[in-house]
Amino acid sequence: MRSLRARLLVGVISGMALLLVVFSIIIYTVFRRALVNQFDASLAATARILAASVEYEGDEIELELDFQKMPEFQRVERPAYYQLWRDDGTVAARSPSLGTDNLLRLEGSLGVLVFQALQTGSGHPGRAVALKFRPKIEGRDADQQPANQQPLTVVVARDASGLHSNLQFLGWLLLIASVGTITLSFLFAVFVVRQGLSPLDSIATEIASVREDDLTTRIGTTSVPEEILPIKNRLNDLLSRLEDAFKRERRFTADVTHELRTPLAGIRSSIEVALTRARDTTEYRVVLSECLAIVENMQTMVNNLLMIARLDACQVTFRQEQTRLEKLVNSCWRCFSDKALERGIIFENRVPAEMTCESDPDSLSMVLSNLLDNAVEYTNEGGQIWTTGGQADDCVEITVANTGCQLTSEEISQVLECFWRHDSSRTDTGAHCGLGLALVQRLIRALGGCTTVEVQNGGVFTVRLVLPRPAKS
Amino acid sequence: MRLLIIEDYRPLQKSLAKGLREAGFAVDITGNGEEGLWYAMGNDYDVIILDLMLPGIGGLKILKQLRAKGRQSHVLILTAKDTLEDRITGLDLGADDYLVKPFAFEELLARVRALVRRSYQEKSPLIQIKDLRIDLTTQRVWRGREELHLTPREYALLEYLAMRAGQTVSRAEIWEHLYEFNSLASSNVVDVYIGYLRRKIERPGKPALIRTVRGRGYILGAQP
Repeated sequence: MRSLRARLLVGVISGMALLLVVFSIIIYTVFRRALVNQFDASLAATARILAASVEYEGDEIELELDFQKMPEFQRVERPAYYQLWRDDGTVAARSPSLGTDNLLRLEGSLGVLVFQALQTGSGHPGRAVALKFRPKIEGRDADQQPANQQPLTVVVARDASGLHSNLQFLGWLLLIASVGTITLSFLFAVFVVRQGLSPLDSIATEIASVREDDLTTRIGTTSVPEEILPIKNRLNDLLSRLEDAFKRERRFTADVTHELRTPLAGIRSSIEVALTRARDTTEYRVVLSECLAIVENMQTMVNNLLMIARLDACQVTFRQEQTRLEKLVNSCWRCFSDKALERGIIFENRVPAEMTCESDPDSLSMVLSNLLDNAVEYTNEGGQIWTTGGQADDCVEITVANTGCQLTSEEISQVLECFWRHDSSRTDTGAHCGLGLALVQRLIRALGGCTTVEVQNGGVFTVRLVLPRPAKS
Repeated sequence: MRLLIIEDYRPLQKSLAKGLREAGFAVDITGNGEEGLWYAMGNDYDVIILDLMLPGIGGLKILKQLRAKGRQSHVLILTAKDTLEDRITGLDLGADDYLVKPFAFEELLARVRALVRRSYQEKSPLIQIKDLRIDLTTQRVWRGREELHLTPREYALLEYLAMRAGQTVSRAEIWEHLYEFNSLASSNVVDVYIGYLRRKIERPGKPALIRTVRGRGYILGAQP
C-alpha cells in the first residue's frame, strides 16, 4: 500500500472493526445467557410446581392443577405444554394445549433438571425442561414416602419466540451500532488523517513550486510538525547543494564562453581587417599565421576542458608503468627550453637519477608539461625554475618551483580553480586561460595522489605532487 | 581623429590598430591598465576603446578615474562580458557605448565614427561648407560637382577642420588629434599638410575655404 493516508485509515479502521466485533460477540453472549437462564428458571419453576402437584392415589396418578392460575396450558395462542410419563414410558398426563400430540421425553437423573431447545407444534422456537421425580403419596408426610416408589418424568415446554426475538433484536442492534460506529469512525478518521497529513500536502506544493531556473527558494518557510522537520531540513540542504552546483556550472559556462570570446574576436577582427582591402601575399600570410596561433591556443584550451570534463566524469583510463622521473622531467622541459633561454631563466632538474614512479607516464608527462609551461610563463626574467624528487615507503613526491611569484597566500588558495588567473598575469588571453593547474590537480587526484601549492618568502612558488607508491609484494 | 586602444589581447590589439589606422584614425595602443590611464589622462583622445579585464588597473576603474578627473573623451567598452549588469555598470560609470566580443569590425568602425561625430556635436554624416561636401562614412570629398581625391592624411586633416568648422584650430590641436603618440613627424608637418590640402580643395576665383589666423592657427569656412 503506497498511500500513507490509506495505510493509516486501513490500520485504524480495521483495528476498530475487530474490537467492535469482539465486544459485540461478548455482549451478545452475556445477554443471551442471562435471558436463557431467566427463561429456564421460570420453566424450571413451572416444572417443580407441576411435580409438586402430582400425587399417587394408590396406583393412580393425580394431578391437581388449577388451570385458572396457570392459563398458559390451555390458551390457543402460543400455549405452554407439559407431559407426564411413568417410568415405564406410558403417558400419565398431558396439558390440554398438547391435545393428542407428544412432547419429546427427555431422560435425566432423578431430581436433575434437563433443558433443551425444540420447536413447538406451531413451528415456533421453544425450550423444554425435564424433571424426574418421585411424586407424593396422598395422605403421607414427606418423611413417610417409600424409597422404592416409581419415579415420574415431567417435561414442560414453552414458546420461546419472545426470547428469540429479543436476542435477534439485540443482535441487530449490535450489528447496526457496529456498522454505524465504523462508518462514522471512518469519516472521522479520514478527516483527522487529512488534517494530520496536511503539512505533507503543503510541503509537496512547496516542492512542486521549486523551479529549475530559481533554486534560491527554500521549503517549509511556514511552521511544520516535528516529524516532518528532518525531511524539510534534508530537502533544503539538498536544494542548497543543487544551487551551489548550478552556480558553479553557470560560472564555468560563463568562464568558458568568456575565454572563447576573446580569441574569437581576435580571429574575426584579424580576418575582417585583412579583407577590407586588397593586400599582398606576405600580409595575408602574416594574418593567417596569427589566426593559426590563436586557433592552436583555443584548441589547447578545448582539449584541457575536455580532459577536465572526462576526469570529472571518471572516463579516463590509466596504465601503470615504471617511469624514470628525471628522464620524464627532462623530456618535458625540452618544449620550453627555448622560451626559458629567451627570458634568461635558469632551469635545474634536481630529481635523483635513479628515482622511479609506478604510474601513468602520459598523465605524468601532461602534468609536468603544464607545470613547467606555467613556470616559464610566470617566472621573473632571469629567474629560476627547479624540480625536486623524493620518496618514502608509501609515496613519491615531486615538486616544481619557480621564483618571481607575486601571489598572496589568500590568492594561493584559488590557483587550483578553473579559469583563475592573477590580475598581473592576464596578458595573452587564450594561451594561459587558467586551466593548467586545475587540470594538474584533477589528473593527480585521478592517479590517487594530491596536489598542494604554496608561496614562500621571496616569491618562490612551489607545486608539490604526492603520488602513492604501490606496496611491494 | 585620434583614438586610444586599451586592450591586453595582443592579436586583437594588433588587428584593431591596423584596421583603424587604415580607416584614417591616429591610434595609440596599450595592453596595460596603468599605462592606459596615463595615456588617457595626458591626451585629448576623440575616442577610447577600453577592454574591461586588464592587467594593472581594470577597465571600469580607468573609466571612473577618467570621469572623476573630468576627461571628456568618448569611451567605447569592448569586452567579452555580456551580461545586462555588466553593460549597465559600464554605461552608468560614464561609458558612451558598449560592444561585446566577438564583434564585426565594420560595426566597431561605425560606432567609433558615430562617437567622433558626437564629440563635435555633428549629427549628420555629411558635412557641407559652402560648396565643399564631405561624406564622413565613405570618406569622399566633393567641391561643387567635382570629386576630390585626398590622401588619408589630407582627409583626416580636412575632417578635423570640418568638424570644427568656423572655429580657429591651433597647430597643437591638429597635432594632438591627428598624430600618434610616438609619431616621429615634427610639428611643421601640419603646415606642410595644410599646404597640400589647400592645393587640392581651393579653386582660383572662389573665396578661400581655409584661412590662416596669424599666430593662432587655421579656420575652415568662416565668414570674414
